[in-house]
Amino acid sequence: MIQFDHLSYTYPGASRSVLADLTLHVDEGEFALVAGPSGVGKSTLLRCLNGLVPHFTGGTLSGSVSVAGHDPVAEGPQVLSRVVGFVFQDPEAQFVVDRVEDEIAFALENAAVPPAEMRVRVEEVLNLLDLAPLRDRPLDALSGGEKQRVAIAAALAFRPRILVLDEPTSQLDPQSAEDVLQALVRLNGDMGLTVVLAEHRLERILPHVDRLVYLADPAGKRGREVLSGSPRHVLRHMDLCPPLVALGKALEWEPLPLTVKEGRALAKEEISGSAPGAMKRVSGFRPKHETLKPETALQVDGLAFSYNGSRALRDVTLAVKPGEMVALMGRNGSGKTTLLKCIVGLLRPERGKVTLDGESLGGRDTVDICRHVGYLPQEPDDLLFADTVADELAITLRNHSLVKSPPVSPEGLLARLGLSDLVASYPRDLSVGERQRVALGAVTVTRPRLLLLDEPTRGMDYAAKRELVCLLREWQAEGTALLLVTHDVELAAQAADRVVLLSQGEVIADGPAAEVLGASPFFAPQVARLFPGTGWLTVADVLAGLDVIDGGG
Amino acid sequence: MFDARVWLAWTLTTLVVASSARNPLYAAVLLMVTVVVGAVCGHDLDGRVPLSPFRFAVVAISLSALFNGLTVHIGSTPLFHLPEWIPLVGGAVTLEALVFGAINGLTLTVIFSDFAVLNQVTPVRDLIKLTPRAFHEAGVVLSIALTFIPQTTRSLKRIREAQAVRGHRVRGLRDWLPIVVPLLISGLERSMGLAEAMVARGYGAVSDREQPLRTQALLVLGLLALLGGWLAWLFLPARKGIGVAGMVAGAGLIVGVVWLAGRGVSHTTYRRRRWTVRDTLVLLGCGLTLAVVMVPIPGMDRSTVYYSPYPGLTAPPFDPFIGLGLLGLLAPAIFSTRRNTDDSI
Repeated sequence: MIQFDHLSYTYPGASRSVLADLTLHVDEGEFALVAGPSGVGKSTLLRCLNGLVPHFTGGTLSGSVSVAGHDPVAEGPQVLSRVVGFVFQDPEAQFVVDRVEDEIAFALENAAVPPAEMRVRVEEVLNLLDLAPLRDRPLDALSGGEKQRVAIAAALAFRPRILVLDEPTSQLDPQSAEDVLQALVRLNGDMGLTVVLAEHRLERILPHVDRLVYLADPAGKRGREVLSGSPRHVLRHMDLCPPLVALGKALEWEPLPLTVKEGRALAKEEISGSAPGAMKRVSGFRPKHETLKPETALQVDGLAFSYNGSRALRDVTLAVKPGEMVALMGRNGSGKTTLLKCIVGLLRPERGKVTLDGESLGGRDTVDICRHVGYLPQEPDDLLFADTVADELAITLRNHSLVKSPPVSPEGLLARLGLSDLVASYPRDLSVGERQRVALGAVTVTRPRLLLLDEPTRGMDYAAKRELVCLLREWQAEGTALLLVTHDVELAAQAADRVVLLSQGEVIADGPAAEVLGASPFFAPQVARLFPGTGWLTVADVLAGLDVIDGGG
Repeated sequence: MFDARVWLAWTLTTLVVASSARNPLYAAVLLMVTVVVGAVCGHDLDGRVPLSPFRFAVVAISLSALFNGLTVHIGSTPLFHLPEWIPLVGGAVTLEALVFGAINGLTLTVIFSDFAVLNQVTPVRDLIKLTPRAFHEAGVVLSIALTFIPQTTRSLKRIREAQAVRGHRVRGLRDWLPIVVPLLISGLERSMGLAEAMVARGYGAVSDREQPLRTQALLVLGLLALLGGWLAWLFLPARKGIGVAGMVAGAGLIVGVVWLAGRGVSHTTYRRRRWTVRDTLVLLGCGLTLAVVMVPIPGMDRSTVYYSPYPGLTAPPFDPFIGLGLLGLLAPAIFSTRRNTDDSI
């Protein structure tokens, strides 16, 4: 169905190729997952499938691509649109009109498909993706998962044989991501559609995948190697894997588990091989951070907020201690971002109180509050406008009149952020992870006592996430209080001391990460599902816990 | 609800009648009609809350009366005098000038209320769909622009917030730089992303036929005929007939060329709305109103349509038949139905 032969591609003006001598095939009806670190060329590879590369991007391409008997390079994306449906990362960025049905029909209208046939096709995809009840809804009124399903429906309107998706779940909460994935699995399984998908978070997709394509980091030890084959085979050679696979590799489980169900059987064997009562002894084991101080950094009491009469926050109460990292989780629209905005004064709560180190923040303006509170919004690009990375930090200092006596050395902060070599770079030319770190530098150069992070790992690969967690841990150890809004359950499992769950603007759970994540059906990380009741959340927890078993037994 | 063409006809009829009738009593009837139609038919607002016509009326009538009262110094009922040495406003402030200004404000309110109803009942996209096929590309561009406006507004809000959290305050023009730069860049990125998505969905794959030279020549000829006829009508009073004939011929030619050009555009429409009896009834209502105001009908005093408070203030006249005729514009409220889906195929 798809065949790449010695394909190389270089973007216009780039000194080195992003894809080099790539040879790869995907069979008809396969569900193929493209994985690899940020910037390795996953999106470029996907765009070669429908001819967006090189027709839309320009650049130099050599070698050949064949897609269902078509040559995308010769025929171009408009012709290939009948064969390849393409879904982009951000559904909103690809919507042309504003209603569900109209959006699906847009491409058909422009292709002059007769109205009667158009009606049949629209109906078909509405049913396939469970969108029929939403057909007349404005796109603005849909949830993130629903929007992504509309984008998929729009891509399927031409009845393509291949569906290509570029990180379709990266902006979704776990439940919405699961809904989108289930839709893809149904299309692949029931309709025989060939699906090619690029993703960073592999854990939720691997169980459904027939073929895994791994593009290795050119700067790494494998060079420009491309691995393609069955997921189990390729995962053995990948450096960074989802927790379940990483654990399987560490414990030499055979076969390597891809689903929690497979892993649970192996985990049982692992535990049963230990001494009787071992489970009890390891229960609740988790490495502890240094003892927290008794006082509270952030205290939120009875906070309430409404958007045009619609309740977004209802009597929210929570506290974060100095040196504590709290993860705030919940579905899209549960009020997480609203809460952060209320804390920094971007929104004025109807009632309730917010204090920082005992001082009330009520009535103070955002600029004043953010002298002591660092807030990293969801879109780091909204912060960046200066010519260089160094200027971004300098501008924040100037805004707060701190140029002469900065609370932390900007050079030192850039070094900690791993940006020393990029001081003179233009921020918007950097990778997603690097831009995120520049933005983080721009809001933390005032050395805030409280740091609020809204989805800081969106679009980041495993390596970038690991670096971010290390950095946050350093700040945490220095006494900074951290409140982290995230959909990434594995991040919360790795980093958070405590987890607060929000639903429809209310706190429905607040407790130690092991308790809250372990007990939640939607937010439990893979390790917690493997070893329920143990309090383990990460691979490190398990390995350390099993050492205890071995030692104790 | 009704066809977008019906709503357009209703809006234009209300606009023409409101602009023609200078009688505050008829204007008040029209205002009530638009408010009732808006209240009955204007449900599909997607949460948007329009500015109340009554609030608009308070502002428009007061400002218009004040402006006219201060700047027009004619009328037989002076209320007070402003010193003559004050440019423009110096002189007598008369009751008649204030009333005339207030009538203008009332007319403006009717026009505002008229378009507010159109905005409430018909998505702009439905109106864009009415553009001739020859202007299909322009329609798509306009449609995308409409989607971009709320997105850009959201981006602006987000960027302002993001800059505020790093201590940025907007005091002067230069302080807008940290907001404008990310806004422009994100707008450009969004445009590129949308263009890429549209190409990936086959936009532009069906190439529209190029317009032959003959069509282009006919369009130029039509425009020349229209312009020539207009000039003849303006400057040759003895031969106004020739001027009118030239304008009619030119307009006809242009319409014909647009129709011909539209045939070359490959495009179909999803869910084209079916014309219903209720659409016809509303059109008849609009025709009735237009007729009582514009056409001399025996038994009706058309002179009551035009009222002026100058030189001395008198009570505005009112012909009950014309007043009843204006109620023809209530047809959308009378024949309104909620069965939206039954109307579409």
